[in-house]
Amino acid sequence: MYDHFETPEPDEAVKLALRRIEESTARGEGSDVAGLEFNEVVVNMGPQHPSTHGVLRLVVTLDGELVKDVIPVIGYLHRCKEKIAERRTYFQYIPILDRTEYVAGINCEWAYVLAVEKLAGIRPTRRAEFIRVITAELMRIASHLVAVGTFTADLSPLGTAMVFYMFRDREDVLDLMEELTGARMMFNYFRFGGVRYDLPDGWVEKCRDFVRTFPAKIREYEALVDDNAIFLQRTQGKGVITQQDVVDYGITGPNARASGIPLDLRRTRPYSVYPELDFDVCVEHHGDVFDRYRVRIREMRESLKIIEQCLDMLPRGPVQVGSLRAPYVITPPPGSCYVGQENPRGEFGTYIESDGSRYPYRLKYRDPCFCNLQLFPKLLSGNKIADAVAISGSIDLVLGGIDR
Amino acid sequence: MPVTVGSNPRGMDALAALLAERFAGELTDVRVQEPDTVVVRCAPEKLKDAAARLKADPEVGYETLNWIAGVDQRTGIEAVYHVYSWKTNTWLQIHVDLSREQPEVDTVSDVWPAADWHEREAWDMVGIRFLGHPDLRRILLRDDFVGHPLRKDYVDLAENHPHV
Repeated sequence: MYDHFETPEPDEAVKLALRRIEESTARGEGSDVAGLEFNEVVVNMGPQHPSTHGVLRLVVTLDGELVKDVIPVIGYLHRCKEKIAERRTYFQYIPILDRTEYVAGINCEWAYVLAVEKLAGIRPTRRAEFIRVITAELMRIASHLVAVGTFTADLSPLGTAMVFYMFRDREDVLDLMEELTGARMMFNYFRFGGVRYDLPDGWVEKCRDFVRTFPAKIREYEALVDDNAIFLQRTQGKGVITQQDVVDYGITGPNARASGIPLDLRRTRPYSVYPELDFDVCVEHHGDVFDRYRVRIREMRESLKIIEQCLDMLPRGPVQVGSLRAPYVITPPPGSCYVGQENPRGEFGTYIESDGSRYPYRLKYRDPCFCNLQLFPKLLSGNKIADAVAISGSIDLVLGGIDR
Repeated sequence: MPVTVGSNPRGMDALAALLAERFAGELTDVRVQEPDTVVVRCAPEKLKDAAARLKADPEVGYETLNWIAGVDQRTGIEAVYHVYSWKTNTWLQIHVDLSREQPEVDTVSDVWPAADWHEREAWDMVGIRFLGHPDLRRILLRDDFVGHPLRKDYVDLAENHPHV
């Protein structure tokens, strides 16, 4: 019979943590608080833990309250997406992309559709390009709301107010998306050469309403936390990502921009109609938790600017090349290509190899959170355990993308 | 010195020619993939030297590793390295052919720190053994998983799923 009080055998990650403690003790770097036989404690944080925003598991070695070592363990949400691609046609695979990074599904769809279009030589219609930009920027706002909201909720009771406001306002974005695509989060909206539906009647006006009312809400968020002494103390100077870290570990997105690097694929490797649009790349210079929060807040404003311009410039015309039936079966010529795209969290890209059949021969994701998470051991070591929670919140991980 | 995103005024073809000339010993089959990627091949035994020199190159300087993919090409296993040059804002894709029976290549995680997890993923999924890797464990699948699922001849056995 199963013994409920049996101590389970430690797995590989815990064994590694214990081994590292032994090694550091042998080197004489162990903790030396007088009177204690052992000081380092291995704490298992997650996979079911509210502050990990998913099923991230961290095996943390603590010395008192200080974090000495972190071993991230991932894969609890692995859904074999790269394997599934072997048995799905290019067209059948689109909905799976929404489930990768479910907070900003439409941006992931875009990365995949861009890669297939490049491989097959399809050019989307101009109206579809603008609709794509509008939806992607709407989802960027929704995603940043989730990121900042849950992050502030980790910090203090004050943040719990923030998370409610932000989820309330995110619902406005999701309502717009639901009216357009039929789903709140699992859109299945992009098609090769265009999008699935044209904008419904009255949608443009609703979207303009949103663009008009949302800046006041951003000011409200800023008033709530920007000058708050507790918030500043817990965020400024904590968890600094240096520019060298960005270069070494391939950090992208708001996390890189908070360290003063103007890396934004919408500008540095322009795709779609972004070259025609006027917006700033938001850069901050300290690379700490506070700057990562600031970059996300400022990017929401830039996204609103982009949406407004797109609504003004929105051309008439079809939203799909050819007949609606045409792109259902496509057979790109043999070859491979990689296309990266600026997701709310960084560079999300797909590498596709085609052997000329209806199925992708090999599909590989480049996920921004996977690369950002790799910095964790370096970033968290030396901080207090409470700050470790704040720092991991500010990196903004989505486990659906990491585990694929 | 602050890191900035540079540009490539000399054009992709000139960049490919420069790489082909400067790394004649290591990189072969240099070609340009529009708009901003150079695709090359490299022999597995030369990869590590090439990586260190590519990173240190003062003019191009491929300093960041973007991702590594393992691909089962049926006749052999291929490792694809995707690296980024901040100075020229271009990408380089290095294809390395490995044998199917013994897919082994030197690790580049000491050249590009980001390679650590990407190599673990390639080991997990396709079974490429990276020699000298500090901690080559499975990353996405369970520790006791058998086989490498992205191999084209992978057969999913019931014994592999004791928890279901």
